[in-house]
Amino acid sequence: MTQMFDDGERQPPKFGLLLLQIFILGLFCIFALRLWYLQIHRGEEYAIKARENQLRQESVFAPRGLILDRNGELLAVNEPAYALGLVREDCKDIKATLVQVSKWTGVPVADLQKKFHKGRKLVKPFEPLILISDIPFDQMAEIEANRLHWPGLDIRVRPRRHYKYGTLMAHILGYVAEANEAEMKKDPDLALGDEVGKQGLEFMLERPLRGGKGRRQFEVDVSGRKLDERMLRNPRAGQELDLSIDLHLQQLAMDWLKGEAGAVVVMDADTGQLHALVSSPSFDSNAFSSGLTPEQWAALRDDPMHPLQNRAIQSVYPPGSVFKPCVAGAGLANNMVDLKETVFCNGAMKLGRHVFRCWRRGGHGKVNFERALVESCDVYFYKLGKKLGVDRMSAFAKACGYGVKSGIQLPHEKGGNIATREWKRKRFGVRWQGGDDLNMAIGQGFTLVTPLQVARFVAAMINGGKLLKPQLLKDDRVEVLGRVPLRDDQLALIKKAMRRTVDGARGTARRLRTKGVDVGGKTGTAQVVRLTDELKKLKDKDIPYKYRDHAWMCAYAEKDGKRYAIAALVEHGLHGGSGAGPVVKAVIEYLFNGVTLKKPAKK
Amino acid sequence: MAFDRRLLIYINWPLLGLTFILFFCGVMNLYSASGFRLEDGMTVAPYYQKQLLWGLMGMAGMLVVMLFDYRHLRTLAWPLFWLTCIMLVAVFFMGKTIYGARRWLDLGFMNFQPSEMAKICILIIGARILAREREKLGFTRLAYVIGVGLIPAGLVIRQPDLGSGLSILMILGGMILYHGMTPKVFKTLILSVPALLPLSWFFLHAYQKQRILTFLDPAKDPLGAGYHIIQSEIAIGSGRFWGKGFLAGTQSQLRFLPEKHTDFAVAVFGEEWGFAGNMFLLTMFCIFLYQMVVIARDAKDMFGSYLAAGVFFYFFWQILINMGMVLGLMPVVGIPLPFISYGGSATLVNFFLIGLVLNVSMRRFLFKQ
Repeated sequence: MTQMFDDGERQPPKFGLLLLQIFILGLFCIFALRLWYLQIHRGEEYAIKARENQLRQESVFAPRGLILDRNGELLAVNEPAYALGLVREDCKDIKATLVQVSKWTGVPVADLQKKFHKGRKLVKPFEPLILISDIPFDQMAEIEANRLHWPGLDIRVRPRRHYKYGTLMAHILGYVAEANEAEMKKDPDLALGDEVGKQGLEFMLERPLRGGKGRRQFEVDVSGRKLDERMLRNPRAGQELDLSIDLHLQQLAMDWLKGEAGAVVVMDADTGQLHALVSSPSFDSNAFSSGLTPEQWAALRDDPMHPLQNRAIQSVYPPGSVFKPCVAGAGLANNMVDLKETVFCNGAMKLGRHVFRCWRRGGHGKVNFERALVESCDVYFYKLGKKLGVDRMSAFAKACGYGVKSGIQLPHEKGGNIATREWKRKRFGVRWQGGDDLNMAIGQGFTLVTPLQVARFVAAMINGGKLLKPQLLKDDRVEVLGRVPLRDDQLALIKKAMRRTVDGARGTARRLRTKGVDVGGKTGTAQVVRLTDELKKLKDKDIPYKYRDHAWMCAYAEKDGKRYAIAALVEHGLHGGSGAGPVVKAVIEYLFNGVTLKKPAKK
Repeated sequence: MAFDRRLLIYINWPLLGLTFILFFCGVMNLYSASGFRLEDGMTVAPYYQKQLLWGLMGMAGMLVVMLFDYRHLRTLAWPLFWLTCIMLVAVFFMGKTIYGARRWLDLGFMNFQPSEMAKICILIIGARILAREREKLGFTRLAYVIGVGLIPAGLVIRQPDLGSGLSILMILGGMILYHGMTPKVFKTLILSVPALLPLSWFFLHAYQKQRILTFLDPAKDPLGAGYHIIQSEIAIGSGRFWGKGFLAGTQSQLRFLPEKHTDFAVAVFGEEWGFAGNMFLLTMFCIFLYQMVVIARDAKDMFGSYLAAGVFFYFFWQILINMGMVLGLMPVVGIPLPFISYGGSATLVNFFLIGLVLNVSMRRFLFKQ
């Protein structure tokens, strides 16, 4: 044994032992210093980073305010839609993920990449960048099932606008669509993929309708799985809108305009509330909220019937004879009408070298104030117009709300045109001439009005001269914007003349007669072009569509304290009574008798 | 030989106690490290139970190792060495391939890593050779010692397992430093090592180069290769002075910390126990190492002293490299922290080696008569 351990005399290497102790000391010092540096010196900084890792926030969507008609019928609602987002920070391989998403959804990779690169600067860190704002349920299910293999993909349920009567209400409600870059820059509350009102009430009342997003904080693990969550701020649902529109009336009027281009306005004559505001043809609001393809957009924009145009407020037409009550009012207001005085109409009036014809070739014979309105005698108004002159006529027309915007809460309203001497000189460089007075007096020439203005004027004639702001919401208070400068007895004269137009034996609006209802009206036939003699010889149906006259009908209807003003226009509808009358009649029947008259099928 | 009571008295009790403290800290920390939160509460993977089981087996092994006289290893050193080399060769032909590396021998009841055995073997053969060197090492003797070490180290590196291969060389290197060398050799080495280091760059795999580059600038690739380092520093740093408390580390519970029950286990500890806990652990490790120095000093034969030095370096390098990596002072290398990181065979070997140095300490009286 001792033989084996012959080195018993030797001592362990002294230097080696010292070296080991130095190693231990070195180990201790280096790590102690490093621990102090990490945990004490920079501890706070790392604590913040750990919190950033662990806690995330996201927006909670607020449902957009519902929109209902005056009877509580739902018009615009919210439906859940599945949006596919990408949290960049969680995604391991963005390119591969986008390729996979393209495989699932069929959206081209290039489109997704474009969206990603455009959106990356617009989302906050750890917030999902919305790649596709609306994916079908079956695709959503497939992606959800594979989500763990593709960290960073995030499916969020968000409300999406749906219009139950997309076509019927399109011009009033407008539509929502994904917010664009400019809108997001202007409004920091908007995030990528958010819906924002682009037209109509959705646009005008965007703020109250949108409500306020909530904010939620939650804890995530490394794969982005949500654990504990806590609401930091509750979402605030958008405000509900109760429209003054009567859905059934709107539908009825739209049905009557089917196949035509035109507009119908039904206004409560005392409050200014609109019960119907129809423009035909229309488009489907829903097409916009789910995103139009460029082709669909081009088709809508280039449609010769201009379905995007809201004809009730955005299109201007020569009023034709529906302007005559206004000219008559100007005569009364200026004391230039003698009620007993008669004018002899022989079918035409000569002014200088020009002959101005009455619509009735043979003439009306002797006409007084009332008969001139009832039978719409042009010659009477030529003479009145000549007497009044442009200054008085245009001042009065403007006081009646013509030539100015009505202030309705819809975008892009047009004010129309009421000409003045200065206007003509500026516009054409030509001075006002006597013939211009005559044309103006029968609602032709430079005068352009919207159907809404006509309805508002009629309302003013029967409500004591109040020029009301047209309202679209049931709760809007009555706003009187102005007064027509006529005394009550003068207003009564015009109203009476309009009533005689309906119930008189020779009135032009006899088709509006409704039992038990006080109805008055005025027809109008507005020339689009001055017809050549050649065309004048043709029968109505042979005149090319675009040369045919526009048909106007305006009316009031009153019973038991309920008063309405109605205006209807049918583009190229030929004659006021036959072209625009039937729809007004149907409206009156509905309003007072609850009857829904169906438009007879075209033969 | 009748049982000698002095065998018990001379056991280095502090070392044994520290081993148990460190092992206990490790199992407790594993309980937290293998837990993670789900939507409906916490789930704990059973790593801590397995580690406990391996530890009990290791302790049994430790007792066995303490029973026989370590001096027998001196005669067994060379046979053991060649047996190990044969097994390492056998791995090439019969080894199991896991994760693309051929490192395991299937023994039927367990997968056995001959490279672990090579680490034990190298410190026995190192002690055997160096204990007989009466003088400081000159060039030829140094070359001989390193040459012996290169046989198993080379075989392990070919598996490929660069980490274990380098460990073998580093344990041997540590023992050579312990022994000492002539000033001439020392100067030559001091001058040539820095010159050789850049050369070694060309022998590294691409992923190894990547790790080194990432270590130099982790921010360059925060979600890729730099992720481990960044998350580890966040975990430890956010523990601050007192830590977040047991089971309350968000970095580990929410799985931001990678490899949290193996290589980065000490980061979990740092997050939950803070600077205070880390300093405790570091102090424990240092006293633990110091006890081996004591044993090496008091051993009454040179073989025992060199054995203790070998075991010292076995643990020292692991502690240095693992904590250096976790604290962001070194590139990411897959070296576990003794008793703290999860690992079956590593735990067995750890206890086995503790048994070996205790063996040396308890038999020192034999020469003090």
